[in-house]
Amino acid sequence: MTAILTIIAKRAGELILLLIGLSTLLFLLLRATGDPATAIAGADADEEALTAIRAEYGFDLPLSVQLGRNLVRLSQGDFGASLASQQPALEAVLTAIPATLLLAALAMLLTIIIAIPAGAWIGHSPDRKPQRAAALLVYVMQGTPGFAVALVLVQVFAVSLGWVPAIGFSGPASWILPAVSLSLFLAPKLTRVVAANVGAARGEDYVRAARAGGATETEVLFRHILPNALLGAVALIGSQFAFLIGGVVVIETIFAWPGLGRLLVQSTLNLDFPVVQAAALTVAVLVYAVNALTDLAFIALDPRLRRKTAA
Amino acid sequence: MTRPLLIPLILMALAGLALWLFAPALAEQAAAINLDLRLAAPSSDRWLGTDQLGRDLAARVLAGAPWSLGVAAGSTAIALTLGTLAGLAAAELEGWPRRIILQIVTLVISFPGLVAAVAAVAILGQSGFSVLLVLGFLTWTLFARVIYAEASSVRSRDYVTAARLGGVSRARLLIRHVLPAIAPSLIAMMVFHFADMLVAASALSFLGVGAPLGAPAWGAIISESRPYVYQAPWMLLAPATALAGTVLGLNIYGDIIAKRLGLAGRPS
Repeated sequence: MTAILTIIAKRAGELILLLIGLSTLLFLLLRATGDPATAIAGADADEEALTAIRAEYGFDLPLSVQLGRNLVRLSQGDFGASLASQQPALEAVLTAIPATLLLAALAMLLTIIIAIPAGAWIGHSPDRKPQRAAALLVYVMQGTPGFAVALVLVQVFAVSLGWVPAIGFSGPASWILPAVSLSLFLAPKLTRVVAANVGAARGEDYVRAARAGGATETEVLFRHILPNALLGAVALIGSQFAFLIGGVVVIETIFAWPGLGRLLVQSTLNLDFPVVQAAALTVAVLVYAVNALTDLAFIALDPRLRRKTAA
Repeated sequence: MTRPLLIPLILMALAGLALWLFAPALAEQAAAINLDLRLAAPSSDRWLGTDQLGRDLAARVLAGAPWSLGVAAGSTAIALTLGTLAGLAAAELEGWPRRIILQIVTLVISFPGLVAAVAAVAILGQSGFSVLLVLGFLTWTLFARVIYAEASSVRSRDYVTAARLGGVSRARLLIRHVLPAIAPSLIAMMVFHFADMLVAASALSFLGVGAPLGAPAWGAIISESRPYVYQAPWMLLAPATALAGTVLGLNIYGDIIAKRLGLAGRPS
């Protein structure tokens, strides 16, 4: 038990270091970009108004002092307010999270539903003609950029057939195209990994032993091959989910999806440092949590690792 | 590298040379506006059709190739150099220098790439050079991690220990004994990275923070096609096929190299 607590404490320490580093980098990058006072007052503001704003927000202080202040406020949970809308930065981020999480969960679910059966089917008899054709299709899909696929899907299913809305966030029908676009982008890789793992497991001793012991082909696939093959896919599923949580900027832009990715880009273009910082730190924490959960899932799923951790 | 692996490289070099020689003529043709020929379908005269301003899409896609491929090549070179240096250093140094390098790697990996891209484009101006720098400095960690892991395992092999005990200097040890052992995976990774950078550069251009306004980069042409896709699907198909086809070719080439050099194929 103490071993697990040590791991958690170490992870938390790493995360805090990471957040401080991230916030410092963002601060330097965005302050180098332009004058935040102009971003607040507008480009045609006179010098007097700009000076007043700089004094109000503390932009006239030395950079190191501003940086320190920012970190102190952060440690008290104060993310500041959006320079553009005066809305609390954390609130802007929290409003964007549900849309991103929803899209990430849907896309991941769809990816798993497509990729695991397809991968098992291809990997189980990779030399048959239909499987080879499917493997080739997967290979081509993997090389196709997701945004081109999304544009084609919008044209066919939203514009010409009119089955679903082309853009926006307005109920389940509008969730379909973004989720499908993302899973068509993610599923090929997962399919290939599952197929490769299933293919490799087929020749293992424990599979031969199960067959020799009289297990049917279905039993061998579901009870012996798949559990081991899927274990290897957990790492990829984890990193794909982490990628989705980070806000998929291009897909969110195409579909006008009100998620974290769009918020990040818009606030960066507006030089809205508090919102950029709040969004980036939130994404970092979420991604870190997903990665930690992936590691835990490994330990939970693989008895060999459990024994090693306990020892 | 054996001969079959060299042939694609030679072909790519020749194609690059041809593009470079014809670049001025192509650029002129790619920018030639002909309003009588707006959104014309592919024909024997205009092989890939024309866009909303009557510009020849075949010429635009070809003229956009040097930008897209150049940015991908440049950012891959930066990522490869930085990643190799950092990975080797982390493997060779022990204690706190290693911990610092690995912590920086974690930091950069978790950095929101698009924020950096948008900010850098704002600082450096909208050009291929700023996209190249941003992509290179954001992705070197991928090389660093793999090289660190591989170099660490190579370092503990007997022949390296023997060389070390024989008094070979640290730098020579890394360059002559460790680096050649990890070169195969480095080469395969480089090809895959090039393909990924091509897609990333196109995605940035698609969002409008990549190629300069009006430049015929592939992502920018795809973005321009959006309002016209239904009327003129060739506007999307021409650049998207060029992009997808190049990525596919690179993936196949990378897989062949990996197989030939005894690696497992594309790392996922």
